Amino acid sequence: MSAAHTSLTAAPAFPFTAIVGQDEMKLCLLLNVIDPRIGGVLVMGHRGTGKSTTVRALAAVLPLITRVAGDPYNRAPEDMPDSVPASAPAPAPNGRAHPRDSKPKVERVPVPVVDLPLGATEDRVCGTIDIEQALTRGVKAFEPGLLAQANRGFLYIDEVNLLDDHLVDVLLDVAASGWNVVEREGVSVRHPARFVLVGSGNPEEGDLRPQLLDRFGMHARITTITDVALRVEIVKRRRAFDADPAAFVAAWEKEQRALRNRITRAQKAVAGVELPDPVLTQIAHVCMRLGIDGHRGELTLARAAAALAAFNHRPRVTWQEVVAVAPACLRHRLRRDPLETVDSDEKIERALQASTVES
Amino acid sequence: MSVSARQPAPPIVGLHFNDIVGLDLARQALLFLAVDPSLAGVALAAVTGSGKSTLARAFAALLPDNAPFVELPLNVTEDRLIGGLDLEATLARGERVVEPGLLARAHGGVLYIDAVNLLDAGVAAHVMDAMARGVVQIERDGVSAVYPARFSLIATFDPGDGAVNGSLLDRVGLIIPFAPQGDAAIRAEVVRRNMRRNMRRNMRRAGDGDNADEDAMLRALIELAREQLPQVGIREEQVEALTRAALSLGVEGNRADVFAVKTALASAALAGRTDVSEADLEIAARLVLIPRATRSPQPAQAEQPPQPASTPAPHPEQPDPTDAQADQTQTQTPEQIEELLMSAVEADLPADLSSLPFAAQRRGRTGSRGVALNDLRGRFVRAVPGPLRGHKIALLPTLLSAAPWQSLRAAADDKSPAAPSRSAPVVRITRDDIRVKRFRDKAGALFIFLVDASGSMALNRMREAKGAAIRLLQNAYIHRDQVALIAFRGQAAQMLLPPSQSVDRAKRELDALPTGGGTPLASALWLAWQTVRQARSRGIQQATLILLTDGRANVPLRPHEPAVDKDRIVQEVRQLARAIAADRLNAIVVDTQAGYLSRGEARTLAADLNARYVYLPNAKAHQITEVIAS
Repeated sequence: MSAAHTSLTAAPAFPFTAIVGQDEMKLCLLLNVIDPRIGGVLVMGHRGTGKSTTVRALAAVLPLITRVAGDPYNRAPEDMPDSVPASAPAPAPNGRAHPRDSKPKVERVPVPVVDLPLGATEDRVCGTIDIEQALTRGVKAFEPGLLAQANRGFLYIDEVNLLDDHLVDVLLDVAASGWNVVEREGVSVRHPARFVLVGSGNPEEGDLRPQLLDRFGMHARITTITDVALRVEIVKRRRAFDADPAAFVAAWEKEQRALRNRITRAQKAVAGVELPDPVLTQIAHVCMRLGIDGHRGELTLARAAAALAAFNHRPRVTWQEVVAVAPACLRHRLRRDPLETVDSDEKIERALQASTVES
Repeated sequence: MSVSARQPAPPIVGLHFNDIVGLDLARQALLFLAVDPSLAGVALAAVTGSGKSTLARAFAALLPDNAPFVELPLNVTEDRLIGGLDLEATLARGERVVEPGLLARAHGGVLYIDAVNLLDAGVAAHVMDAMARGVVQIERDGVSAVYPARFSLIATFDPGDGAVNGSLLDRVGLIIPFAPQGDAAIRAEVVRRNMRRNMRRNMRRAGDGDNADEDAMLRALIELAREQLPQVGIREEQVEALTRAALSLGVEGNRADVFAVKTALASAALAGRTDVSEADLEIAARLVLIPRATRSPQPAQAEQPPQPASTPAPHPEQPDPTDAQADQTQTQTPEQIEELLMSAVEADLPADLSSLPFAAQRRGRTGSRGVALNDLRGRFVRAVPGPLRGHKIALLPTLLSAAPWQSLRAAADDKSPAAPSRSAPVVRITRDDIRVKRFRDKAGALFIFLVDASGSMALNRMREAKGAAIRLLQNAYIHRDQVALIAFRGQAAQMLLPPSQSVDRAKRELDALPTGGGTPLASALWLAWQTVRQARSRGIQQATLILLTDGRANVPLRPHEPAVDKDRIVQEVRQLARAIAADRLNAIVVDTQAGYLSRGEARTLAADLNARYVYLPNAKAHQITEVIAS
């Protein structure tokens, strides 16, 4: 079955670096690649603005990860449990599970970008018993679901505002704990499921549950591009891609590789990026001024700013990085005042300016 | 894993493609789609009986090698649409057998959706996903599979039935937004050709008539055009002109530009040219840009286009690519090309833009959107795990989820020492297996605010009502409730916010709050009542009116009739209120009059409406929502 997956999804995607405009969405995605703890991206915008094209283009610029060979949960060698607990499921049916004592074989694989389609059922999202084996041989084997596939990668939900409430609850649970737990009639599995949640939707087709909205670290807004030259460029690239996808992808490979290298460098550098106290204080001020509840706002803003500094080869975070990422980190966290006529971005802008003046 | 070998029904070819008359623009659109399938589809406004399904089937017959023709019924369930486990075959063969859904079956051919505006948002989302990715991904019932699903979508809609899902329509390249007018001559021709065809069939000469020749010719033409297509060039100024036209028509998103360019190229290829001509740009604008217009182009400020009425636009059917003309167009700027283009196609823009699908949506008309899943009513769409209490059991999915466990449970029962002596059950079902039905209902409830926008406290009332409306929407995400707001002032009530479930839209439409003037209470009641009736026809069964007023009307329903006295106005309101009460509408009257001024009019109104009466001078938004919630 996995063969069908790879062969079909391997059809060339439009190169990320060839996407014209929509800089905020692209930056949000990249920052989450550099530091997954930022907590995902919600992309809201009008139809036909390239939301899903961009997300699906991301996979090709992601650096490879190291995982235990054939591990259905994409675990790194250091993430493997020392001893296999008694309740663990039977090894994967293909028998690729490694022997307990020997050092596990590793492989380099692309960061998974997993699509969660709207019609998905809970059993396929969380995993369930392998029905083929159960039906035909009476064997109880766990078949991992999409959450397993998405571990250490991205989970993408297009039209997220149309997702069934029932699945939203499951996702929120797992996203909060980083673990997926399946308990059913002797099948008892607990596996890591840390993923960057990426959702996209059209704001005119209904709103998102506030709980789900909060879960996204960043909220990118995208709009129709109105610059004629850019639009002509979009048409040209799209035509070139449609005419010969492979050649088009090859022509952009240099840019793709450059971006991939830049991401890899930033991933290594991000932990060492310095966050000076005055900047941190300013971040707190901005969030206070905007009346944002809790600390998720500050935390996300600080992480995103550090990731941006790393992406730009800067040793420390300056106010400039904070200003650049603040709207995307904060706009969905403002208290929703029904009578407010000021746009949320404008409010953030004002709060940022006030903090600049103060310092 | 294997695929069950159920064949899709063979396409029923009714009339030949050439038999379709009177749908010329549609026919052209379908030819372009045949030449370049990446145009994704054709959407066709059509009323019943205009030969639309015949056209779609005839189109499928033009595609190479028996391309599949799949019709998507509006009441399709998710498992039929996407595909899933074929339990019967799985059990019989002892291996997992997946049955592909309709989307996968349409691969390489045509997916036909009649009355696409009645399609619910969930199904539409699946169709869009397949169109965007070219595959359909099954993740359900223990099955994980991906099937190719590249198809041309042919969709029809009757504009009278409500707006089409904009996101779906946007993915369709070519749109014919108006139904052909019921021209008697055209209808007669349709009948004549149909009869001729039947006659031929009776004569057992099917296959070698004129039409067979014509179809063969068309097929050859399409084949040639496909070969020609990569050689067709379009100049950058022409691309820019199309883009500029899209911008000046207020086309949303950037997809339309690409479709427009591809249409121009396909048109040139069909005409056997290697250069895009003015006529190609025009037909592209007609089929791609005009239908997506959300505004009329602004007239150029200084330069008035020279007498557009007296110079007829170049005839699109007979392009005349003489050398002189070619030279002339070589030197044109994008602005000039756009101007020429717009003056040629502008006449296609209807006077009332809201008759166009995208403009209609911008204005806040909702069609079949506003769907919500619920547990007891509506149309069954999917089964989910859940408690039986308050739900209906989905028998088949329950058995499906229990099936894999049967042999395991049987083995466990055999081993169990405490096994009852009674005979073992045929099927062992546990609570975990239970699947209950989820239904898709048209919508939750509709709340209509009727706000008195006259008098000194009007602005305050309006602001708080707006706040309450938005609050209600923010809390309505589970039920997908809709909210509308009617303001009454001056001569008549006005719908400021048509029924909507979008906070964004509510904020936009309620940006300006007009106040002042008389109090046309009767007009507001009437408008609200009509709105509820329309909502009921869309399946919204529950409606609540929330009136913020002191109950004092001073403008009659028909203000222009002479000699209306105060009593008549009061009686009018009372009659209306009682009629509304008899129609079983819920209502709440929030009396906003300061106590010492009140003469009890609001109380009387509440009594007539059989409504709840709440006294809240200076009502705040949160107080209003609390009243509604209680």
